[in-house]
Amino acid sequence: MMRGRRAERSGRGDRRGRTPAVLAAAGMTLGLGAVLLWPASRSTPRESESDLPAPAESALQVPTPVELERDPHASLWSTVRRNSTARSAPDDGAPPVARVETRTPEGTSNILLILDRRRDANGRLWVRARLPVLPNGTTGWLRRTAIAGYRLVRTRLVVDLRKLRATLLSNGREVFRAEVGVGLPQWPTPRGRFYIRNKLVRYSSPFYGPLAFGTSARSSVLTDWPDGGFVGIHGTNRPDLIPGRVSHGCIRMRNADIVRLGRLMPVGTPLEIS
Amino acid sequence: MTRAAQDRFRRSDLLKRSLVVGGAALGGAVLSGAPRATDAAQNPDADIRALNLLLKVEYAEAALYAEAIKSGALDGELLEFARQVAEQEQAHLDFLRQQLGSRADRRPEYDFKDATEDSDSFVKAATELEDLAVAAYNGQATNVSRAALEAAATIVSVEARHAAWIRSIVGRLPASSATDSPKSADQVLESLSRLEG
Amino acid sequence: MTRVDHLSFERLDVDGALAESAERAWGMSRGTFLAAAAGGSAAVIGLTARDAAAQGGKLGARDVAILNYALVLEYLQSSFYTEAERLKALRGDAAEAARVVGSVERAHVKAFRDVLGSKATKRPSFDFQGTTEGQEPFLKTAVAFEDLAVAAYKGQATRLKAQSALTAAVSIHSVEARHAAWMRYLVGANPARTAFDQPKSKSEINRIVRSTNFITSRASTQRKKAPRFTG
Repeated sequence: MMRGRRAERSGRGDRRGRTPAVLAAAGMTLGLGAVLLWPASRSTPRESESDLPAPAESALQVPTPVELERDPHASLWSTVRRNSTARSAPDDGAPPVARVETRTPEGTSNILLILDRRRDANGRLWVRARLPVLPNGTTGWLRRTAIAGYRLVRTRLVVDLRKLRATLLSNGREVFRAEVGVGLPQWPTPRGRFYIRNKLVRYSSPFYGPLAFGTSARSSVLTDWPDGGFVGIHGTNRPDLIPGRVSHGCIRMRNADIVRLGRLMPVGTPLEIS
Repeated sequence: MTRAAQDRFRRSDLLKRSLVVGGAALGGAVLSGAPRATDAAQNPDADIRALNLLLKVEYAEAALYAEAIKSGALDGELLEFARQVAEQEQAHLDFLRQQLGSRADRRPEYDFKDATEDSDSFVKAATELEDLAVAAYNGQATNVSRAALEAAATIVSVEARHAAWIRSIVGRLPASSATDSPKSADQVLESLSRLEG
Repeated sequence: MTRVDHLSFERLDVDGALAESAERAWGMSRGTFLAAAAGGSAAVIGLTARDAAAQGGKLGARDVAILNYALVLEYLQSSFYTEAERLKALRGDAAEAARVVGSVERAHVKAFRDVLGSKATKRPSFDFQGTTEGQEPFLKTAVAFEDLAVAAYKGQATRLKAQSALTAAVSIHSVEARHAAWMRYLVGANPARTAFDQPKSKSEINRIVRSTNFITSRASTQRKKAPRFTG
């Protein structure tokens, strides 16, 4: 916000006000008859007011307030605060859908994509979340108190299983595209809506390349896979196989591509596989 | 009058008990000249001049509200507002006068008859005066001692509350600016003379 | 038995009606808290006068610390209103207030970050625990936030050294008071309960902010660990 013009002021020096007060006499009834007793000096009442220094310039330049930009590409995620039961409806009595825990098998905070909110008959707040459980695409209702603060992302990852391509959109704009290797027919990469759940880095496992994203998607066939059979998005030591249907369900990229994606895609990003 | 407004009256009646003269808690220390931790040069008389300027503003506010209540032009929520605020402005005035003691300027003559002939004029005048009070207090912050600043700070926010409150009553946006710019003493005096002139 | 650890309305507002409905609206359990506010001020303790001078030469280390403290409160408010607006759970006057006041608090954040530069404390993570998701909880929390900001600025104003910092502080302090009156009006409380608004010390403010549990630790969604995905 633009500040009014103010008298120039040097650091410690001049504190005197600038122009003497020019007060219109006509019609003015301010009782300036009170003489302010100045030790060892006499000044007319009008001058004494103007002896008060003008205000100091502010240290802050506050910009003009602006409205929030519209956010059509925003998604929300949140952390699971306590082990909870997700239900089919926002009601304590509704059938349970799945158990959600606070940590993932990888040891990261378990996060959920938040889709909706509603109050129950007692006025308590519930949220609907996309759950990292089978069957893929499951959603459920949790008490608001079961999750933590909301985090917002404006990105979206789209994986096309026919074109063997992954595309990252940011604010609706394409910012990344890469060829991918996906699941073999007997271990298909599941289709549907998911989200990026965590990010694993600086490990030594060339099979998975330099970094890996965990998703909320799970193999529907490899149900005995250690740590739940989650579908990951990761690098590879077999770039020659990309693009192709080559994996146990994971989405593989060339290492340069996964590194690039690692710089562009935050955890919590919604994922669409079709 | 809406139900919500009625509820507000009841509540404000209930809370008249809490019109605390909090300034008294600071005792008589305001004009002790205790230096403030700023790089301003210290002038013990600055407090007197600055507080007298603010006293002028409080005199004006007290006069406006007293006149408005007397005029019978207000009713309902506005009248309730004016009654409470009149008490609070009087408390401010009493506090400043007490601090200034014999150095307090005399109460000027104000004529707010035009401003109080109907509720619209009152709202306009009160809004301007409360905004002016905020700017006046903010403008003297760097001129006064620490004790005076502490005291002034307890008052200026109340003036700002008044300013937002009256706007709320008449359906205006209560606050839209990101900062309340300070006004210099000259500017305050000029505005005061325009307001009541 | 629900333990009500809420925004200490008893301390901020003796209006019985307000406190009573606040208890009904809130029913949270205490979560973990990472004192990002404390962390923020710790970050500037190591400031030297030379560092501060690098910011334009006008603000000493203590002023910088105080401005950073104010910045945390502005982060708290701006994040609160911004989330309320984004979640679209408010209607009418409350929604408008969230929009307008939010834009002002965001402008405050920008201003503090600009003047503090690299010394600006980072925005904490917040969990507003439903207070951005319903009309009454929003209004009550907004009242408490704005009253808190008024008391906080008031408590620090006399400690500022530079005149420019003091002018900045008072210019914002009164705006927060307008907001406080606005939100109080909307929730049906007295906009100006007392003739004199009292300051609160930094430790009081910190205690109140901590008691809300709004400031949380960041989710740890990244780890140095080999994947066991299906591959």
